[in-house]
Amino acid sequence: MATVAIPAAKWNWVPPYPQGRTANNLDADAQLVERCLAGQDTAWEDLVKLHTRRVYSICYRFTNSDAEAQDLTQDVFLRVFKNLKSFRAGEGLFVVWLTRLTRNLLIDHYRRTRMDRATESIEDQVKVLEETTAMLSRTDGMLAGREASEVLQAGLQKLSPELRETVILRDLEELEYREIAQVLNVPEGTVKSRLNRGRAELARVLRRHKVRI
Amino acid sequence: MTCAELEILLCDYVDGTLRGEEKTALESHLAGCSACAELAKDVAGVTAFIETVAPAEPPAELLTRILHELPTARPATKKQSWWWKLTGGPVQALLQPRYVMGMAMTVLSFSMIARFAHIEPRQLRPADLDPVKIWASIDDRTHRMWDRTMKYYDNLRLVIEIQSRLKEWTDQDQAPNTGASKQQAESSRQKPEAGTSEKKR
Repeated sequence: MATVAIPAAKWNWVPPYPQGRTANNLDADAQLVERCLAGQDTAWEDLVKLHTRRVYSICYRFTNSDAEAQDLTQDVFLRVFKNLKSFRAGEGLFVVWLTRLTRNLLIDHYRRTRMDRATESIEDQVKVLEETTAMLSRTDGMLAGREASEVLQAGLQKLSPELRETVILRDLEELEYREIAQVLNVPEGTVKSRLNRGRAELARVLRRHKVRI
Repeated sequence: MTCAELEILLCDYVDGTLRGEEKTALESHLAGCSACAELAKDVAGVTAFIETVAPAEPPAELLTRILHELPTARPATKKQSWWWKLTGGPVQALLQPRYVMGMAMTVLSFSMIARFAHIEPRQLRPADLDPVKIWASIDDRTHRMWDRTMKYYDNLRLVIEIQSRLKEWTDQDQAPNTGASKQQAESSRQKPEAGTSEKKR
């Protein structure tokens, strides 16, 4: 009989948002947008400060490049700046609107750079793998923090864009299934199915790199 | 519970939000299906691993770059009253430089046409609005304008030169033709005479 060793911490359900995405801070987003549209001096700055980390994180996890993530984050906020008037607070959350916008830009970027990735030198890929293996041999497969982040990055790049974006949005950005479904414009069932496949694929990749999970 | 049903509920199970009968059914399925048990183990393991990952922090200069490249405040978009929308908006739109320039060019074009057609502006009188009179006036002006244009065209030096050259060419073509026709006429006259002499023999 098969036994499933699920980490104990996962049995006791805890809210997925560290700061707690309550109605108050959701309203705060909408109010901030209102203030921006009313032309208040500091509102735009506040909005950028509040959401830069999220946008950068999604872009970085998806592209695996700090420079590309920075450029894309700038592009996202430029587009937000131009299209802020089209955001309707009653039709959904600002976070969902922003994430959808980010995701669309990422997909455009992915299609644009497809040829570049195909011609990426084999030496670069071998170098990354050697560094990851060397790091794992030092740590005996037990990773955390920055090292775990680097290994995860390498693993995410092995996933297809569909699975990668779903894992990023749920496990790293901690969006709800309903919100991910809105961002990706697919049913919730599809989100869950992609998430399972993405996580299972990632587990196989990590195990191949001798990460203990 | 089937494997497909388990796949849908697995996310909630790993999140710890699955309760009651569904949870029991899922756990009994996991106990009997090694493939699903493997999947559940992988999924739970990866989620636990990702929790240990440090967040990706943007560099501090990125915020400065974003704020520096874009204006610090959005342009004001005040709500406008219905009166402003009715009057101010269209008037403001019409006062845009391109519209003003367009209108000025239209007025200039019409004034040039009027000058060329010798239409002189004068004060309108009620009698001028009679349709018959308007039609007669338009007809008269059209004919005058047509005659004036034709006269101008005929008097052009280039046209006269082309016409005279064409006339010369036509004359030259006709001259050899007339010579040949004379010869034909003479030969036809001689042939009947020869025929009669043969008959006589």
